[in-house]
Amino acid sequence: MVLKIHGVPKFAYTQIVLVVLKETNAPYELITVDWINKEHKTPAYLEKHPFGQYPYMDDDGFILHETSAIVKYIATKYRASGTALAPDPSNLKATVLFDQAWSVQASDFSPYAGGIVMERLGKPFHGSQPDEQAVQQHITNLENKLNGYEAILGKQSYLAGDNLTAADLAHLPLGTLIGELDVKSLEDPTRRPNVARWWNDISNRPAWKEVLSISDA
Amino acid sequence: MVLKLFGSPQSKPTLRVAHILKEKQVPFEFIVIDSSAKEHKSPEYLKKQPFGQIPYTDDDGFILFETRAICKYVAAKWRDQGSPLLPDHNDLKATALFDQALSIEYSNFDPIVIEILMEKMYKAKFLGQEPDQAKLAASMEKLGGKLEGYEAILSKQKYLAGDNVTLADLFHLALGSMLAEVADIQLLSDKTKYPNVARWWADISSRSAWLEVQNGI
Repeated sequence: MVLKIHGVPKFAYTQIVLVVLKETNAPYELITVDWINKEHKTPAYLEKHPFGQYPYMDDDGFILHETSAIVKYIATKYRASGTALAPDPSNLKATVLFDQAWSVQASDFSPYAGGIVMERLGKPFHGSQPDEQAVQQHITNLENKLNGYEAILGKQSYLAGDNLTAADLAHLPLGTLIGELDVKSLEDPTRRPNVARWWNDISNRPAWKEVLSISDA
Repeated sequence: MVLKLFGSPQSKPTLRVAHILKEKQVPFEFIVIDSSAKEHKSPEYLKKQPFGQIPYTDDDGFILFETRAICKYVAAKWRDQGSPLLPDHNDLKATALFDQALSIEYSNFDPIVIEILMEKMYKAKFLGQEPDQAKLAASMEKLGGKLEGYEAILSKQKYLAGDNVTLADLFHLALGSMLAEVADIQLLSDKTKYPNVARWWADISSRSAWLEVQNGI
């Protein structure tokens, strides 16, 4: 039975899983969660995902939640069939440098990019006004962290080393959204040329373009 | 050359790494970074840790930051000493369930505990501000919701990744212990509300390596 992803194609964490599936050529079926009607809070759903979130994976009965775990599982299982998005698990140093890079995304990028998205998209969706002061603080914090990215990416092509990994791709959904919300910190080559080079590289990958077209459908 | 831990005795992330080093019986040299003198923002330090954060490790020239990546490295490299604390990297499913548990701590526990500690302790101690009671109440409600998820998981298995203790369980200690210590929040030990969480918390917080680092690194 083919691997199933239960998620919402226009939301960030499902998009991270989708881009990894496409890069690795992993066969899959996407089952859309009826989030508007709170399907993810029903007892049946909570049996599969105890925190009532999306996405979760069902690989022929093997249930897994948490995007980082799903992504690593797919990248490892389908390592040979497409782009290798995680190191060989028997290479300890490469593996922990990947873990370090994933953790950098989670601590130093996503909270701030996510905060901008929450203010400028999430709040209006729920009928309230964005707090522009909070947005400016998120931008300041993000740009401070991007100085760290600039230093790393001045020495190596990608966040975990010289090979692309899922840790780079994990930036795509929120990074794309903030660009659409007029925050150009990732794209501006004058201030952080290495970040801009890296962002231009990963955001133009065909697999990501495919995910965006699914999300718009 | 012995592993070097560059950190601060007051830093909870440093404590997390020191705990795992003790669990794995790994000798290390603790080099104190003077955070009050902003040593972690110096150009020298930024060459090693480009985000200017504490701690980082140097294992005979192999530099690593992000505490959870450091701890995985230690647990994997010294697998045969002390408790295993992580599955065999060749076991894809066990590794995925371990990654899932790591992410649960990182996404569903850590940020909410930080919110609570910010209101209950950090604001008064460092900013001279009163807690925002509405924010605190909202964070406490979120924590309660998450602990229901923990209760569901821990009613079926002993630890978060299965029936063996792993890093994912132990990562909760550094900040989780502060809930009772400084914020007088006893939710993790509440046998009537979350009996399995309480069982699990009592187990991990009584480990001798943890008790040892509580007295100093």
